[in-house]
Amino acid sequence: MCFKNLPIAFDKDGNAYLKEGVKDPYEYKVVDLGIEQDKLKDLMVKNGFIRSVDYDPVTRVAGALAFHSVVDLEKKKVLSTNSMATLFRGYEIILKGRDPRDAAYISSRACGVCGGVHATTSALAIEMALGIKPPPLGIVMRNILLAIEYLYDHPLHLFLLAGPDYSEELVAATNPELIDKAGNAKARGKAVHGYSTVLDIMKDLNPLKGKLYLEALSMTRVAREAYVAIGGKYPHPQSVIPGGISVTITISTLNEVYSRLIKFFDYSQKVTAIWDDVFDFFLENNPEYEKCGVRPATMADTGVWDRPDSYDATFKNCNEWGNDRWSTPGILVDGEVVTTNLREINGGMEEFVEHSYYEDWDGHRFKTDPMGMPLSPNHPWNKDTIPKPGKQSWRDRYSWDTCPTWDRMPMEAGAYSRMYVTAKAQKAPKSKFLENTGHSMRIHVPKHTLPEKTLEWKIPKHWNAFERNRARAYCIPYSAMVAMENWMLAQQLIRAGETKVSTPYEIPKTGTHIGFGAWGAGRGFLTHHLIVENGVINNYQIITPSTLNAAPRAPWGAPGPYEEAVLNTPILEKYNKPEEYQGIDILRAIRSFDPCMPCTTHIMAKDTDHVVTREVTTCACGIE
Amino acid sequence: MTNKSINYSDKNPDSSGQVVQATVNDKRIFIGTIGYHILSNHSIGPILLPQLQQQNWPEGVFIDELNWGPIAVVQQFEATKIPYDRIILLTAIERPARKIGDINVFQWQGGLPDKKQIQACVGDAATGVISVENLLVIGQYFKIWPKEVFLVDVEPGPEVAGEHLSEEVAVKVPAVIQTIQTLANEGPAKIKEITYLRGETLFL
Repeated sequence: MCFKNLPIAFDKDGNAYLKEGVKDPYEYKVVDLGIEQDKLKDLMVKNGFIRSVDYDPVTRVAGALAFHSVVDLEKKKVLSTNSMATLFRGYEIILKGRDPRDAAYISSRACGVCGGVHATTSALAIEMALGIKPPPLGIVMRNILLAIEYLYDHPLHLFLLAGPDYSEELVAATNPELIDKAGNAKARGKAVHGYSTVLDIMKDLNPLKGKLYLEALSMTRVAREAYVAIGGKYPHPQSVIPGGISVTITISTLNEVYSRLIKFFDYSQKVTAIWDDVFDFFLENNPEYEKCGVRPATMADTGVWDRPDSYDATFKNCNEWGNDRWSTPGILVDGEVVTTNLREINGGMEEFVEHSYYEDWDGHRFKTDPMGMPLSPNHPWNKDTIPKPGKQSWRDRYSWDTCPTWDRMPMEAGAYSRMYVTAKAQKAPKSKFLENTGHSMRIHVPKHTLPEKTLEWKIPKHWNAFERNRARAYCIPYSAMVAMENWMLAQQLIRAGETKVSTPYEIPKTGTHIGFGAWGAGRGFLTHHLIVENGVINNYQIITPSTLNAAPRAPWGAPGPYEEAVLNTPILEKYNKPEEYQGIDILRAIRSFDPCMPCTTHIMAKDTDHVVTREVTTCACGIE
Repeated sequence: MTNKSINYSDKNPDSSGQVVQATVNDKRIFIGTIGYHILSNHSIGPILLPQLQQQNWPEGVFIDELNWGPIAVVQQFEATKIPYDRIILLTAIERPARKIGDINVFQWQGGLPDKKQIQACVGDAATGVISVENLLVIGQYFKIWPKEVFLVDVEPGPEVAGEHLSEEVAVKVPAVIQTIQTLANEGPAKIKEITYLRGETLFL
């Protein structure tokens, strides 16, 4: 019984049904956000500390988010938060009426980093809708391609985007008391990374000049080179198609990939040791950092990397092939796995637009999924994207992002979610390189120039900014080892003469065909829901990790993950006067989710007119 | 312009192992197009790329789009065995006091904004933002630019969606191509007016 809030139960055979006697099974309460705003206004009138805040829309070409918080600098608390997507992107509308074969190429453009996962998720949705099963080598090569995409993405996040927040320059400016301590803190991973003290590491995290920063730049090149050997180009691969891939794979291709992949063996050891040292230092020196960006480990993940002997693209068997993935699909509620079944993950999804610039839609076309599980009128297959630009109001609508929920709970997404669910659920099939213990994931990294080593990521007690980033570091060896295992499979397949990489198919000119693609972006959960009708796309809905993470309030008032994480963040930064306040704790909290496109954070200091405006980066692919 | 055979390449000839041949007045010239697709006049780079490639260029002129990320561009240029002598970028940036279709030539004179701005450029670049400003700054920071870097910049007007150029810009296409050809074949001395751009003031 995985649902606690939606009135869906299961009979003894595991078939889902709507509980009887519930008058309106999908009704929900809409809370007046104005009450909270009135309280803030009241406080303003009484003590004059809190001021209203103006927000400049961020109008960069590629898309943008903005984040607003009101901070009490005396009590060092965050009082109010709002996450805003400031741009409409409209892929759902662009794709309507098009040939389904266009979807992979067009939806790939939703993101400038993770185009490959959008293309793949789109291909999966079409495969399910039209019954196309790719050949084993097509599946395996897709796995390698997307594991490599993560190997581009993870170092980029850790060293180029989030890393500078932990650099010597930033720490000296915001928490100078830590610098001397870092200078005296011996680095435990010296044997692997070569740094004697934590301060030495922090110096090389300095943006633009630090050796770790520059090394990450060069590692993104290594990953890109391996990627284009399969995908043809980056970030929008040309070879990902429904039914497999459209490039001939030979032993030479695999050699090209291997010569790059092997460089991530040593790098995996180094990166995990670096971040273990840095994060352990912060948490040991000030346990209050445990609260930075903290929220319950309530997360959703689609799982990734299909087994070639299991994936058949059917909705009917999606629980089975989903559970056979190298990364297990799953829903975590407060750290506990409530389901690993893709059907239930899909069935519990809803999207709400009460605080977004969209009109609600009429109708409830699909009352159940193809196997009879009840679906809400707010399920992506039932959703219609109707933009409704309007005035920004904290009481009403303030974002172009929607509020997706699973079982009426806002869900966090991240690369780390896939590791968390996989380690906890222990459902992934046996692997040469990976071992899931229920409380950790052990990753056996083969030797390259460093000796082989077993790395172990442990599920943390508190789910906070530091642990998100630490887990992300361990996602490098995780992804590299999945790529390696698939590379070995690809070798076997080619040796056995199984060189077919795609399955031909026709687009049916009549009938209704539905499917969903479930794959993970570099920063987690990604679904594409598709309806093909009479040969063209009738509806297309994309839920990205940032759709989940940057969500505005739910209709019933629950904050989105960014909003909740920042609300829980203590202000630990040192400043003499409010004007010196830089907002580093809030930035660490938001950046730990790996937002990936330009985003602006506005922080209002409660008793001043001081508004801190800082660039974050956030994934605009979440914006509709 | 000479009548030599076309020698543009969509790949860097050095990295693909080809022998680097004769040049325009002994200069190796790279023409790059920048801009998002499907944004009408703002997409003049991607729209004109095929047309530019079809021109009769002398040897030593290489044409490619440069939308694939400033970091990757830096790495590609760093890997180029023989550096380019002149870079010409076709762009469309909305600027005040211009009419739609106005063509200006800018010369990049180097200089850098502050470190925070450079890091912001790297953040944007690494996450897929297509921006000539980012490319100029990141290229400057990593020292890939030759002395001669020019922008042929066409006023696009407000951003609108669309696969085609507006009438005002479409009629200027021959002049845009001519300007690029003049810069490539004859050099900046033949350009009537050149405005200078510097990194310190690019984001003000």
